[in-house]
Amino acid sequence: MKNSLLALSAVFALFMTSCSSDDNASDDDSLTGSGEISIKYDNGFNGNDLVLGTANAANANGEAITVNRFNYIVSNFRLVNAAGEEFTYAKDDSYFIISQETEDDQIALANIPAGEYTTLKFGVGIDQEKYLQGAEGQGDFLTLAEDNNMMWSWQAGYKFLNFEGTFTSETITEATEFKIHMGSHGSSLDNYKEVTLELPNNVVVGDGVDSNIHLKIDASKILVGATNSIELTEKQVIMVDAEKSPQIAVNTSEMFVVDHIHNGDGH
Amino acid sequence: MTNDLQNIRTLHRFIAFIGISLYTTISYGNDNPKAIDPTPTECANHLHYEGEYFDFCDTCGCGSSGGSMGYGTGLNNNFIGLRYIGQEYRSRDGIFADSPWITENFNTVQAWANIPVTKRAVLNVIVPYQFHNRILPDNTEQNINGIGDISILGYYNLLKARPDSVVTIKPEHYLQLGGGIKMPTGKYDKDNNEGSVNPSFQLGNGSWDYILAMNYGFTYRNWGVSAMANYTIKTKNPKNYQFGNQLNLGINAFKTYYVSDFAITPIIGVAEEIYGTNQELGFNIADTKGDIFLGKLSVEASYNRYALGLTGMLPISQNLNSDKVELRNRLSVYLNINL
Repeated sequence: MKNSLLALSAVFALFMTSCSSDDNASDDDSLTGSGEISIKYDNGFNGNDLVLGTANAANANGEAITVNRFNYIVSNFRLVNAAGEEFTYAKDDSYFIISQETEDDQIALANIPAGEYTTLKFGVGIDQEKYLQGAEGQGDFLTLAEDNNMMWSWQAGYKFLNFEGTFTSETITEATEFKIHMGSHGSSLDNYKEVTLELPNNVVVGDGVDSNIHLKIDASKILVGATNSIELTEKQVIMVDAEKSPQIAVNTSEMFVVDHIHNGDGH
Repeated sequence: MTNDLQNIRTLHRFIAFIGISLYTTISYGNDNPKAIDPTPTECANHLHYEGEYFDFCDTCGCGSSGGSMGYGTGLNNNFIGLRYIGQEYRSRDGIFADSPWITENFNTVQAWANIPVTKRAVLNVIVPYQFHNRILPDNTEQNINGIGDISILGYYNLLKARPDSVVTIKPEHYLQLGGGIKMPTGKYDKDNNEGSVNPSFQLGNGSWDYILAMNYGFTYRNWGVSAMANYTIKTKNPKNYQFGNQLNLGINAFKTYYVSDFAITPIIGVAEEIYGTNQELGFNIADTKGDIFLGKLSVEASYNRYALGLTGMLPISQNLNSDKVELRNRLSVYLNINL
């Protein structure tokens, strides 16, 4: 009897061992060709879902914000593979508008060379190189930006971020409008920022393997970032502001976090 | 004593067999050169919304046994009968703290049997019929129903207690070791996942799965203790989806009361279920593993050869899919004819 029990525990030790084995392996020895990587920009506000027209809990500055518009430009996508090699997505196809108003929150990057990528890089806004191509150089994107309220005028440039709504604070108890339009003002003030996101696990792509990177966006970071805290109570309209606009640009680049990767289906 | 020795020899053969099969499985898994770093536990949720996927550990939909509900009654008897299992889950539809919860109801009716084949061998068969429903975020109700995954297990009685219903004065042990398969008879429909919250909302895994099982029991007069453990090794289904392996453990204590011709057995127990990570196309899917610890209360009333059982299970603690999924309750009713 004792022996039986001993043997039994041996069996179950084995069971447990195999249970905890974390075999993380693909069936295909090599990925070939190319596939699509889609990126979801899932907009939230301080951990909650961002719902336009709905008040959020007060932030660190005691300001309760209702967002009515939240649009931004993302661009210049690059992926770094395990070997450290960087793949740059075709520049002309690399400009997108994420809009909470129109619920355009997913972009698709086609024909990404097969491989496993560890890092995602992209820009927030329009880089000077693109802007300096002139109005003709912008292609359809110019119209798209105008349609989404992402242009002041060609001379004044693109709005990289259009963040509008109302707020209340300790001193401002009536819901008061705010407008934050951030961009590079012509070529004099460059607010284009780059974001580098290390992926929690590699995103894999190849023939028959389309994958998704699901980003969690925290719009509350626009006002309360890691280093810059901006009070709407002080100033409600921030557009061409040599001091605050660059701070907003930095804060905006901090609002992106990878929530998860979904390898193997294009969702 | 000689009997015991023989048992031990058989047992060793059995262990060797199980050991070899397990090692084969493990080394097969390790053979693959394309290993990726394990996913950090806290990294990601596995929820998509607005017409996308939510990956889920296989706690509910596909398993024919209802997790730690087990392949038997927890009492050492042979039977043929019908069992209903109802399970209520809720899962979060979205990645945010305020994302809504979706309620999912998993219902299973099983034709089940524990049939003695020889003096020591027992065949366990479960044929489930599933009817599941949930209400999606857009308030539409989704129903799926049909036959589930049939499981067939063979048990070998290494130690055998005396025939049922003989109250002996000596303590009695029984020990069964077994193994079997779960067949992909239930439909795994990838389209079910489109616009859905979880891929366990299926009639079956779609894969051939292998089950190792053990039941142990100890009775003394009309008191008893029973323990069960089973481990399901899941394989990749034709849609390249593979549910994580699953370990179910349970322990029960019971006492039988005799009231005229009736025997009434209240049972109290606890159970643990541990789920491994799901894979798609061979890649780990973050936040699909989990574990749950449950309390169980049940009662079996028997009259002649008829047994009516009622079981309720409630979670004591759980961590399924990084808390994106919660079991609310499980309920089961069975009507058996004891053999």
